[in-house]
Amino acid sequence: MSHLSRRDLLRTSGAGLLALAAGGTLAACGGSGSGGASGGDADSGTITVWSWATAAEALRGIVPAFEKDNPGIKVDVQDIGEPAIWDKITVGMAAGGQGLGDVLHIGCDYLPGYLEKFPGGLANLSEFGADAHKDKFAKGLWPVVTGKEGHVYALPWEVNPLGFFYRKDYFDKAGIDPESLATWDDLIAVADRFKAANPGIAVIGLNKAANPTPDLDFLQGLMQLQGAFYFDLQGKITVGSEPAVRALTIVKRLEEAGLIADTPGVQSWVPVMKTGKLAVAAMPAWVAHYLEKKFPDQSGNWRLTKPPAVTPGGKRTALVNSTHLAVSASSPRRRAAWKFVEYALTRTASVNAMFNAGGVFPALTEAYTDPLYAAPSAYYGGQPVLRTFADLATDGGDPTNYSGDYARALKLVSDAQTKVLLKGADPAAVLQDAAKQLAQQTGRTIA
Amino acid sequence: MTAAAPSVTLAKDAARAHRAARWRRTAVPYLLLAPALLTFGVFKAYPVVDSLLLSFTTGSGAATRSAGLANYRRLLDDPLFWTALRNTAEILVVQVPLMLALAVLMAVAINSAFVRWRAVWRLGIFMPSVTGLVATGVIFAYLLKADDGAVNWLLDAVGLPTADWLGQPFWARMAVVLVLTWHYTGYNAVIYLAGLQSIPRELYEAAMVDGAGPIRRFTAITLPGLRPVLLFTLVLSTIGTLQLFDEPYVLTGGGPDNATLTVSMYLYQNGFRYFDFGYASAIAYALTLLVSVLGAVQMRLMGERDR
Repeated sequence: MSHLSRRDLLRTSGAGLLALAAGGTLAACGGSGSGGASGGDADSGTITVWSWATAAEALRGIVPAFEKDNPGIKVDVQDIGEPAIWDKITVGMAAGGQGLGDVLHIGCDYLPGYLEKFPGGLANLSEFGADAHKDKFAKGLWPVVTGKEGHVYALPWEVNPLGFFYRKDYFDKAGIDPESLATWDDLIAVADRFKAANPGIAVIGLNKAANPTPDLDFLQGLMQLQGAFYFDLQGKITVGSEPAVRALTIVKRLEEAGLIADTPGVQSWVPVMKTGKLAVAAMPAWVAHYLEKKFPDQSGNWRLTKPPAVTPGGKRTALVNSTHLAVSASSPRRRAAWKFVEYALTRTASVNAMFNAGGVFPALTEAYTDPLYAAPSAYYGGQPVLRTFADLATDGGDPTNYSGDYARALKLVSDAQTKVLLKGADPAAVLQDAAKQLAQQTGRTIA
Repeated sequence: MTAAAPSVTLAKDAARAHRAARWRRTAVPYLLLAPALLTFGVFKAYPVVDSLLLSFTTGSGAATRSAGLANYRRLLDDPLFWTALRNTAEILVVQVPLMLALAVLMAVAINSAFVRWRAVWRLGIFMPSVTGLVATGVIFAYLLKADDGAVNWLLDAVGLPTADWLGQPFWARMAVVLVLTWHYTGYNAVIYLAGLQSIPRELYEAAMVDGAGPIRRFTAITLPGLRPVLLFTLVLSTIGTLQLFDEPYVLTGGGPDNATLTVSMYLYQNGFRYFDFGYASAIAYALTLLVSVLGAVQMRLMGERDR
């Protein structure tokens, strides 16, 4: 050790190579290969289905019936885990479809990215007649599953209309009826009254420092209520647009009114909710089931209403997100895979069975006629909460274009929100700055 | 001359046998090296070259197309890259000297004749570097929680103000420095310990005879004696910090407001979050350039008299 010369040092540490290794891992994934033309249209054999958590469980539930109706096809549903599934699909696609499942469960935030970055990676379902199902799903979803050339690459499974869950006991104490709050401004206007009656209680919880991940669902909801998002349907950047600034301004004013609690860390919204310190959950449909399971002791306190509008007289519905089933183009059994997708997602019986098993709120609107959507829920004081969501989904929302650059937009907008929440920055300034950076990084134009 | 024939054959045979033996002698080592060389070629050399090529492309999969120097030009105009670079530099300037100084002190303390249970101390300081990085991140994320974390509880208990460790830009950076220091100080200290063993005792004895105190002995004997090891750790730590990824990844996710975004994290985000492999490769090569230049400068400054 004591007589270490310069050359020894280079030999032992391989100085430059250490750094190069960082680039090396990338090359392994970004290399050649692409959308597999190697797939086939067999309509029998064993198909694997990639999904995650309760959704995978729900899919498994309908497999016996499907296999009975489709002899010759066996289905193996695999719970890949979320977010692991996104990396696995990325790697599989970059490897030209090697090792990918036949059916892939893909969120609306990843679908456009896969379509853009791996053209030919997902099977064109229009070839199997997917377009016949176009009008069966909640309005606003079809553009999400349609590629640039007009072909369909997935069928919608889950849709999440935005809801406004509130603690009736807290609002009662303050003498405020949330049903009467037509806009978010109306809520901000009664902030002092609410806080005086409920010391230490905040209205919503946000991970202000965005640690470890962005917390933009609320802001996005506010944008979607105005039919806006980070990108318009042509893919132009709308991060600095008026609706975006209006949405972030509402966040800022809620913060200034002392209505936002900080919920730092992974899933720390849960412990804060557990202590009963939050009065509102402006969250999508899946939360109805989740609140009931996660916070049983708050039973009877929660109610649901439509979210307040952003502008007076503005819209009060928004489709926050959706998930889809797609077929990988490299699958040798594309037709069998499509049969399963069609069976699972276009039949009322299947989607409702899966809804019951895994809480995946269906995008198939005809499913809502089932009495289960009219059932009163004891947890919500006898309110039929599912009816509200079914109505919201039937109303439909504006299509949201997550685009292939969603992840980048998410990061930049999250930085903007953090600047507003931690440093009191000006929403218009930070969003326009984010839009500029996004344009510089993606080569997209600002709308 | 008939007798010469066999001797010629013999000589030929001997030469052949000799060649065969030499061939065996040289072939065997290469044969034994082959698996390592092959794996190196496939898993290191090939990706290294391929990612260089990748850095001149844009898009991925079937949509990959040549982009010339566009990625590198884009890098120069990217404010987030500069933020990442500045953060990395700031952490480097604060953390590396702090850690190395602590490591030297620890090594000297453990090496001192007065310390008992030396093996236990050595094990203790080395333990953190054995800990998995993700486990480290998770544990510290827990310890540093603002409301009910142990660190804030301790600060509060001794009457010091608490900090929002992971929620405020400045403190988040401090948290990363803290965890880095915790993780790697012991590793460096053990290297220094080895270095200390090789400094001849007679030097100390002679210095003592000459009346040098402990501080003088430290500055005149220990530090110069450790010089090559110091250089080694300095360069390694610099490379390590320039490539800093795991700690901010698990602790802060690069936030808040990019306060702990490092070059490697930004590289990862571009590659695996945004699927922008070409751009990520360009970042990797920018980083490589930086590491090489800094490494060379350090060796020039410190290594010159090491002959």
